[in-house]
Amino acid sequence: MKRLRRAALAFLAIVVLASLLAGVFAPASYDFQFREVSNAACSTHHWLGTDALGRDRFSRLLFGTRVSLLLAPAAALISTLLAALIGGVAGYIGGKVQRTLMAATDLSMAMPWMFLLITVRAMLPLNTGPAASVVITFAVLGLLGWPAAARVVCADARRLIESDFILHARAAGCSEACIFRRQFLPNLRPVLMAQFWISIPVFILAEANLGILGLGVAEPLPSWGGLLQELQGLAATSGRPWQFAPILLLIATVSCFHLAIERKESEA
Amino acid sequence: MSAAPLLSLQISAGYAGRNEVLRDLSLDVEHGEILGLVGQSGCGKSTLALAIPRLLHMKNGTVRGGIRFNGRDLMGLRKSEMRKVRGKSIALVLQSPIASLNPALRICAQLEESWLAHCSGSSLECRRAIGTALENVSLDASRETLQKYPSELSVGQAQRVLIAMAVLHKPLLLIADEPTSALDAVTQSEVLELFSTLNRRFGMAILYISHDLRSVAAISSRIVAMADGRLTETADPERWLGQGTQSQALLAQR
Amino acid sequence: MRRKGLFLICALVASALSAGAYAQSEMRFCLSSQPKTFNPLAVDDDASETIRYLTGGVLIRLDRNTQQPVGELATAWRINKAGDAISFTLRPNVRFSDGTPFSATDVAFTVERLMDPDLHSPTGDSFRSTPGKVATKITDPYHLTITFPGPVIGLDRLFDQVAIISAQSPQKYMAVLGPYYVADNKAGSTLLLKRNPNYWKHDSAGRQLPYIDSIRLDIQQNRDRELLRLTRGEIDLVNSLNAESFDLLKGQAPSMAFDAGVSLDSEQIWFNQVPTSPLPDYKKAWFTSTHFRRAVSSAIHRDDIARLVFHGYAQPAVSLISPANKIWFNQKLKPHAYDVKLALRELELDGFRLQGDTLRDRTGHAVEFSVITNAGNKDRERMASVIQQDLRAIGIRLNIVTLDFPSLIERITRSFNYESCLLGFVNDELDPNAQMSVWLSSADNHQWNPNQKQPATAWETEIDRLMREQASSLDPAKRKRDIDRVQQLVWEQEPFIYLVNKHALSAVSPNLRNAHPVGLRPQVYWNIEQLAFATQPRRPQ
Repeated sequence: MKRLRRAALAFLAIVVLASLLAGVFAPASYDFQFREVSNAACSTHHWLGTDALGRDRFSRLLFGTRVSLLLAPAAALISTLLAALIGGVAGYIGGKVQRTLMAATDLSMAMPWMFLLITVRAMLPLNTGPAASVVITFAVLGLLGWPAAARVVCADARRLIESDFILHARAAGCSEACIFRRQFLPNLRPVLMAQFWISIPVFILAEANLGILGLGVAEPLPSWGGLLQELQGLAATSGRPWQFAPILLLIATVSCFHLAIERKESEA
Repeated sequence: MSAAPLLSLQISAGYAGRNEVLRDLSLDVEHGEILGLVGQSGCGKSTLALAIPRLLHMKNGTVRGGIRFNGRDLMGLRKSEMRKVRGKSIALVLQSPIASLNPALRICAQLEESWLAHCSGSSLECRRAIGTALENVSLDASRETLQKYPSELSVGQAQRVLIAMAVLHKPLLLIADEPTSALDAVTQSEVLELFSTLNRRFGMAILYISHDLRSVAAISSRIVAMADGRLTETADPERWLGQGTQSQALLAQR
Repeated sequence: MRRKGLFLICALVASALSAGAYAQSEMRFCLSSQPKTFNPLAVDDDASETIRYLTGGVLIRLDRNTQQPVGELATAWRINKAGDAISFTLRPNVRFSDGTPFSATDVAFTVERLMDPDLHSPTGDSFRSTPGKVATKITDPYHLTITFPGPVIGLDRLFDQVAIISAQSPQKYMAVLGPYYVADNKAGSTLLLKRNPNYWKHDSAGRQLPYIDSIRLDIQQNRDRELLRLTRGEIDLVNSLNAESFDLLKGQAPSMAFDAGVSLDSEQIWFNQVPTSPLPDYKKAWFTSTHFRRAVSSAIHRDDIARLVFHGYAQPAVSLISPANKIWFNQKLKPHAYDVKLALRELELDGFRLQGDTLRDRTGHAVEFSVITNAGNKDRERMASVIQQDLRAIGIRLNIVTLDFPSLIERITRSFNYESCLLGFVNDELDPNAQMSVWLSSADNHQWNPNQKQPATAWETEIDRLMREQASSLDPAKRKRDIDRVQQLVWEQEPFIYLVNKHALSAVSPNLRNAHPVGLRPQVYWNIEQLAFATQPRRPQ
């Protein structure tokens, strides 16, 4: 089991490194259209062939990985911080504050977020560059992704507040500030870390879903969502198995994240 | 020694939406005595343990009545004043030693926090106080032990750490709520021995709460029994053993 | 276990029996949505249009193959010299599907209902060139004359859309004169059409048409699944395939793939020329410059779009009329050639210059603009990507923005907060008079600058004049000259930069005989009454 986890971490490291150095490794630019060899099969020139417009699939996969793997953790960070703030405050204070904040959380969970995302995307200035728009997309995902995590954090905070050791700390006469800083926060950390690690693959998939709706990262910048979009529908039966490389990489990466999380959790 | 008892209370207590757990219960604890309190589980012993340092609200409970401690009315104290009483004059040792320690902090850090709650001084003074406290509970004060996390301690060690924390400020009253129930027989008797020693050495009064009559009888100078939120009997330990009382039933259960 | 096996055998026997008993032929295909209405006069959506085509009897049918009008319920007709009246001789001894006899009264009733302003019939609108009342005069049960308040262009062809309804039948408009009638409607899932027992048409051997007894229409939104169902044999035809699916089908089942050649539909990009739009003035100056638009047009490699995006099933577009329109297309015009040098020359004429790899205008602004298109349309996104790379060659940065349809429409029709837009126009009408609402500068659908009080440019003034003249002329040669000139002007000025005309692609089960898909809608089943099965289809359960 331990070896498996180590392998997972090594795999993640390779993927991150390869995507960070995409500029060095990629045989071509991610948006150059080799129009004479569109829809090409794997070859020494194009390791994973080319797409409908003749763009090198391997290069697009590398750059797409960079986009998704850099921005998903950023979005996860934003949503985890929000969840920590809202869930933590609700759980710490309890009572009416908790009920109000959790009601607000439930309300946000019930909101039609997809619609909101579409609206936000539609309100962006038209000449937002692809790089800026992808950052905004992930930022919005991060800003909207907190409610589920906040519930978990709140439940955990509640458990901490009612725990014997915090009761004991009060019985020892510790001040409120000391209890918050030394007893509460350090013990909230494991759940926050877990939420952070869990939400990374969630955001990768969320962006992929947005991409399938045509609302993800703007052309010509590749992202996993955009790459998956090409596989929609009948392309699956096209007899070009190398097209599935993005899906395989996504599955492998998400699985490795999960293995890594288990490791983190067993440590905590 | 003054004539008035150290602790004298007459309270009712309960939790929101349930019947009262303590019904007009009155109890006195004299200076320097070990008062044993026995009763079956669920009779309100733990409620009483938390009600005295006014921590019952943490479990969503409420208390009515009066608690006089060392000449002051605890019910009338402000929050900040009450905080100064807790840990300093009234210490609490809870049932499950491991759960009472903060899993995220090293032992030394937890002891430091307890010390800092009522003293301000150099780290040297702090370390000396901690050393003395650990010595008092016969725990070795080596770096190795201090650097440990609670999960790395045995249950007995953890209980000693908690008792060390409790005696750090030499309180007038130590409330011990089932302090031995999680321990094996050998450790149990060691801890009981420790309580007697601390009582003798510092003149510290102990309210010893347990469902285990044997252990109560072993160290208490006086025993009260509790059922349904009231005190039912008060007696010397010797008198208990021969009589057909509720306490006999407790013994038979073991 | 044994009981289960027995049950299975019973089920098999039962299904074999029912299959044997059921010797009727049933054709199946899919609609993308539930028809909004069965009233043939109120049709406004594709699904209702399909039902109207399959069930409605019309006086004159536009032959989808020859593009010429042929008589159906009218055996003869004549349009008067003024072009405002049409006289019909009706087919005798025809009955509606419920048995009610058909006569001139029904035609008069249909026209009266059609022109009722309260009905808001889109079909009726095409007859309303001049305000006023429509008069019908019935000479005898089989002769009548309909007189309009003013001349109506292409009057006989317009009757292709008018399904005659009964004035007397208790079933009202559910009684029909076409080859099929609606027998069952499970809203949202299935429609069942059965052959009209009273249909008047017979084949040369004297057998009553249509050949196929019933048609089952399944509501199926997902086009990919629709094609999958065809390959499984669950349905018999798919209309309007996209190029990618068609290419795939051609590889897997070539006998099913039909390419009917260029269709009337076009894909185009246009710049926002609305003077009150919230764009900065220097951008407005670019977009209203003919040189700029022609430069962009010349820099776009239309052949590559046709080849890469549409797998060769499209051809470079020329102007507003598709080459598929045999009568009206201006044969003298050719598609704009891909010519970067020409593009740069045009730009220089307007003071643009290339600095390094960035194009700058006279005032030094780098040329960068966005194109909006509807999200989820792969073909349009790919076209935009091709154009993006093409424009980079002349130093222009193009940003592609995909929007959901409502916000796209909001931008191009109300807020005018967009720079350029890439969309396709679906066209069903051969007669360019139907495009009046696009080409008149005062019209709503004059997309690049709608609802103008005065034409903003000389060429728009000219197009307005030509469109109005052709609309009031009954001389076909004059109309053809006017429309040719409009095509020429649009080709020169490029308010719409036409990209490609897509092919009409369809898929038909090899079991279906007499299928000759054409470019005009309804592509595969335009000759529904002639279609027949070679063998009884076996449907997977």
